[in-house]
Amino acid sequence: MNVVFAVKQYISKMIEDSGPGMKVLLMDKETTGIVSMVYTQSEILQKEVYLFERIDSQNREIMKHLKAICFLRPTKENVDYLIQELRRPKYSIYFIYFSNVISKSDVKSLAEADEQEVVAEVQEFYGDYIAVNPHLFSLNILGCCQGRNWDPVQLSRTTQGLTALLLSLKKCPMIRYQLSSEAAKRLAECVKQVITKEYELFEFRRTEVPPLLLILDRCDDAITPLLNQWTYQAMVHELLGINNNRIDLSRVPGISKDLREVVLSAENDEFYANNMYLNFAEIGSNIKNLMEDFQKKKPKEQQKLESIADMKAFVENYPQFKKMSGTVSKHVTVVGELSRLVSERNLLEVSEVEQELACQNDHSSALQNVKRLLQNPKVTEFDAARLVMLYALHYERHSSNSLPGLMMDLRNKGVSEKYRKLVSAVVEYGGKRVRGSDLFSPKDAVAITKQFLKGLKGVENVYTQHQPFLHETLDHLIKGKLKENLYPYLGPSTLRDRPQDIIVFIIGGATYEEALTVYNLNRTTPGVRIVLGGTTVHNTKSFLEEVLASGLHSRSKESSQVTSKPASRR
Amino acid sequence: MASLDDPGEVREGFLCPLCLKNLQSFYQLQSHYEEEHSGEDRDVKGQIKSLVQKAKKAKNRLLKREGDDRVESGTQGYESFSYGGVDPYMWEPQELGAVRSHLSDFKKHRAARIDHYVVEVNKLIIRLEKLTAFDRTNTESAKIRAIEKSVVPWVNDQDVPFCPDCGNKFSIRNRRHHCRLCGSIMCKKCMELISLPFANKLTSASKDSLSTHTSPSQSPNSVHGSRRGSISSVSSVSSVLDEKDDDRIRCCTHCKDTLLKREQQIDEKEHTPDIVKLYEKLRLCMEKVDQKAPEYIKMAASLNAGETTYSLEHAGDLRVEVQKVYELIDALSKKILTLGLNQDPPPHPNTLRLQKMIRYSATLFVQEKLLGLMSLPTREQFEELKKKRKQEMERKRILERQAVLESQRRLEERRSDLASHAANGEVVSLRGGPAPLRKAEGWLPLSGSQGQSEDSDPLLQQIHNITSFIRQAKAAGRTDEVRTLQENLRQLQDEYDQQQTEKAIELSRRQAEEEDLQREQLQMLCEREWEREREQFRAVSLHTRTRSLDFREIRPFQLEPGREPRTHLACALDLGFSSVQSSTAVETPSPLSALEPVSVWSGPPALGQESFPQSTVLQQNELASLNPFDEEDASSPTAEGTSSPPAAEPSFGPSARSLKEYNPFEEEEEAVAGNPFANPDSPAPNPFDEEDEHPHQRPSSPPVPGNPFEEATCTNPFEMDSDSGPEGEEPIEEELLLQQIDNIKAYIFDAKQCGRLDEVEVLTENLRELKRTLAKQKGGTD
Repeated sequence: MNVVFAVKQYISKMIEDSGPGMKVLLMDKETTGIVSMVYTQSEILQKEVYLFERIDSQNREIMKHLKAICFLRPTKENVDYLIQELRRPKYSIYFIYFSNVISKSDVKSLAEADEQEVVAEVQEFYGDYIAVNPHLFSLNILGCCQGRNWDPVQLSRTTQGLTALLLSLKKCPMIRYQLSSEAAKRLAECVKQVITKEYELFEFRRTEVPPLLLILDRCDDAITPLLNQWTYQAMVHELLGINNNRIDLSRVPGISKDLREVVLSAENDEFYANNMYLNFAEIGSNIKNLMEDFQKKKPKEQQKLESIADMKAFVENYPQFKKMSGTVSKHVTVVGELSRLVSERNLLEVSEVEQELACQNDHSSALQNVKRLLQNPKVTEFDAARLVMLYALHYERHSSNSLPGLMMDLRNKGVSEKYRKLVSAVVEYGGKRVRGSDLFSPKDAVAITKQFLKGLKGVENVYTQHQPFLHETLDHLIKGKLKENLYPYLGPSTLRDRPQDIIVFIIGGATYEEALTVYNLNRTTPGVRIVLGGTTVHNTKSFLEEVLASGLHSRSKESSQVTSKPASRR
Repeated sequence: MASLDDPGEVREGFLCPLCLKNLQSFYQLQSHYEEEHSGEDRDVKGQIKSLVQKAKKAKNRLLKREGDDRVESGTQGYESFSYGGVDPYMWEPQELGAVRSHLSDFKKHRAARIDHYVVEVNKLIIRLEKLTAFDRTNTESAKIRAIEKSVVPWVNDQDVPFCPDCGNKFSIRNRRHHCRLCGSIMCKKCMELISLPFANKLTSASKDSLSTHTSPSQSPNSVHGSRRGSISSVSSVSSVLDEKDDDRIRCCTHCKDTLLKREQQIDEKEHTPDIVKLYEKLRLCMEKVDQKAPEYIKMAASLNAGETTYSLEHAGDLRVEVQKVYELIDALSKKILTLGLNQDPPPHPNTLRLQKMIRYSATLFVQEKLLGLMSLPTREQFEELKKKRKQEMERKRILERQAVLESQRRLEERRSDLASHAANGEVVSLRGGPAPLRKAEGWLPLSGSQGQSEDSDPLLQQIHNITSFIRQAKAAGRTDEVRTLQENLRQLQDEYDQQQTEKAIELSRRQAEEEDLQREQLQMLCEREWEREREQFRAVSLHTRTRSLDFREIRPFQLEPGREPRTHLACALDLGFSSVQSSTAVETPSPLSALEPVSVWSGPPALGQESFPQSTVLQQNELASLNPFDEEDASSPTAEGTSSPPAAEPSFGPSARSLKEYNPFEEEEEAVAGNPFANPDSPAPNPFDEEDEHPHQRPSSPPVPGNPFEEATCTNPFEMDSDSGPEGEEPIEEELLLQQIDNIKAYIFDAKQCGRLDEVEVLTENLRELKRTLAKQKGGTD
């Protein structure tokens, strides 16, 4: 069930199969990302892969002494490029791997182009998704829906990604989906279709309890991607943005040249691997330890190198030291930037109110706090807008809803039109009308008591009290209590036993907070393995773009916006 | 490993020599040892201190630290496992995901297509052969034309009003030309010519390898129009006649294309680029290293642990061999890097990138493997190591024995207590001697075993007695007594074990002590001498100062090993003390109690009495003996050369002679310890030394494994090392200094680029110093 390992295995197998000799890896834009998530350059160098080329790059030289490993998505363009390549081969021999199912006709046209008989292998290796963490994958699709329905291109990409994941993990699942979402149903059907069509591919050893694929829609929980995060990975993504494990730091003031872009990968960064799920305070102390460790390692520097022996030692240890300093300076820079942003944007206070909005039901105090923060000049328009969005989502139907007043405050604060429009768009995207389940008020008695007890005890950490809605869904699913009227099975058969291997896919993107939830569920629930996936992994910014891309706000202008606008004038 | 060589140890207890855990069988011990101590073993015993070793240690430490972290997180995961779930990082690896091959399909389609092309190309070549089979220059044109026409039927002129390639209308001015290979028609502009040598090349090659040849691509021939046989028109005849190029064959572009491709294929088949040859050699070398290095490491580890399984010479040879291969790898990869650099049209950037990457991976390889290549002890060191190892083992045994004694004593006391409490018969008088104390409940030693035991020592006797007691107790069904007796028996056995080793220990220790004493006195003398010198010449040069610092720095370091003997002593004394206690406490004159004091007092007290009063001396003594190692530790085979000779010689100017008084010792130690080893080696590690640092230095700033597919991020490390290749080996010190300077320059450059000013400062300081040293040295030699 480890998705990183699954992809890595595919890549290793490709390289292995090509035998000894100098190799070039020929990829397209997407597979480059896929490979780079699981292999580092030095790692792949050890396997005699010395060059990495894009199939679409024109400036490739003829190098007949190289073997080419082609790892490509089976798209029309790639097949065309490959046909051209085979007509005039630049390398001595070609090992071709497609990341997904390729049509017979494409194989035929490729075969006919291979007049010089340079192709030694044509296979499908289903590494067609971005493996972020062992239990988290993404398809890097932003804006998968138009309105409430799929963008057809993205639907087919998502279907491919999801089926590839199933194949790479060798799972032939039963499918459940969120009834309230048309998109979820559509995707479920598409996946089922592929499974039926490629039935001989999906013939795996039967397990006692069949695996389960649960398809959800982001619009059921629009709260989670709107919250500020305080665990390392999620926080970095929220404040700096992680793109295929890379972080762009070029906007950080006074950044040195070699830290403009850093890579955070749990696969080869021990510190990151150990700290990615810890909260900000813990990371602070850990990074201090790291620094101290580092200081110990470089005593020669402060002592001044007095003797030749010192110098020798210094020179000997220098590479070691540099390497460590790479890790240290990277994390110190990242954490430093995080804390700078936190204080600059007054995020602690903002986050506290966010959490109150998300987790508690005290309308008047929430409203008061939001209003107070909107007056605070340190709060950015982005954060102001998200506070109002959270308020709008939570108290959408509250009797004394004062969203119009808040919208006025936003306007007075000088928040741009774009963000103000997004408030209604978000409500349109994930409002009560859309949600299949209740995000805010727990219905069953157990949950009510739980919340009551929680209120009595007080929360341990005011900034991380929020639990994504996904937690509850999965909890119910694991216990076999997930309601079938809300999350029906696709097809007649249902699961008798409690599920063991679960794949959850969120249309419209997952978040790192949810990844953490799934991580913790994995760690604490015996006999259950859960893999989380999404069309992408969101932070607030990308989520708002997603909402924007769905085009709901423009349509809502005619309907809901019209009703809300006169209200604001009142 | 060692415990297995020592039969005494194995026979009785199967005690783990490192943690003293008692294991049930040989196999269990072995597996335990492998599991628990295989890692630390190397650290504990691998006391050789060279650059390589040190680097490895540093690496180990780092790894271990990381490893510990990992373990920590692992245990966290494990803890949570006890709640139930499993950390996704710990999920058991799954098998390779589903795959599907289209190869057979692909081949089927390709085969159909290929056949067609092969036929096509073969046809062209056969025709070409026919066309060139006769002597063209000496045959008249008409005849040639006849032959040409017999090879392939020419297309009828009337059928082709326009040139099929360019579309121009044929006329008197724009005449038709026929392709001699396929018979099609084209205009003059679109006509190609095949020279005879080219034709010959193709036909001769295909004669050689007609069977293996594959067909090149070609646009479909149908374009050329129909090939109906026809009589040539006047115009076409004249077109042949007005051009007297009889040594060339006309053909259309398509046929020419096909033939050119064919030629290219032939060329490629014959030609292997330089880079491939070099690369193949490189890989061979790497394979060799992969083969030899583990073997060597095994040897070195064993030797460094003071074992005698392998011979030092053999290991040395192997080391030289491996290092030569490293040198070769370095040289080869460097050559690959610079391939074609000074060619006029500079190679394609991709070629350069390829070369760079090969070089980079070779340096990575060398770095990784060479760092693991620990050095060998010198002959003297080896002897010491052997001794040390022996001591180590014995110390452990003593510790163990002490523990045993302690418990035994306690048991003894308890027993005597018991005896005094209930003197009347319930007593199981263990130490009551073999025979007389036989009360109602007492056990009798069996006579048979007694007979056996008479020949050996009293301890053995006792052991036998107890065995027989046990048997009796068992027979009587007194399980609790059996248990205590068995416990007793085990202790006795341990005791016997130790006793045997004790004697050996004592002997060796005495020897070591004497040696140490001598050496320490020498050391003291030297140090005092040198101290005086230092006072005098403190101002003379910086280097004297640095040297002194250097030395002082080492000292606290040395104290640590020095501490060991003290605890050693302490425990010995403790041992003595406890045994005294026990001997006083135990009144019964059992054979054992009589024996105890003997066994204990004979050894440690001798040491304790002698050495404790002058423990400081002993400590230093130990230091002295350890010194050479530490010296080695701080320096490297490479550096040895740079540090001592230049520092000692030139900078001391006036004090040269007095220094020599000091130096002889230092030199002796080093010369003996380091030089024979360093000299042959120093040329070897040098190039790597540098290489090691360069590649690291650059990529590490953008975190090394980081930007996975970024272009090798302007990885310039290679540019720098061009000047620091393996040069002459003659004046090593200077050479090394120069290289060091080069290194530091490179670092400065790097640091500057990265804007780490503090580093730059330190490095510049360094550089200046090194330069000064160099200048001085030069002055001194001149």
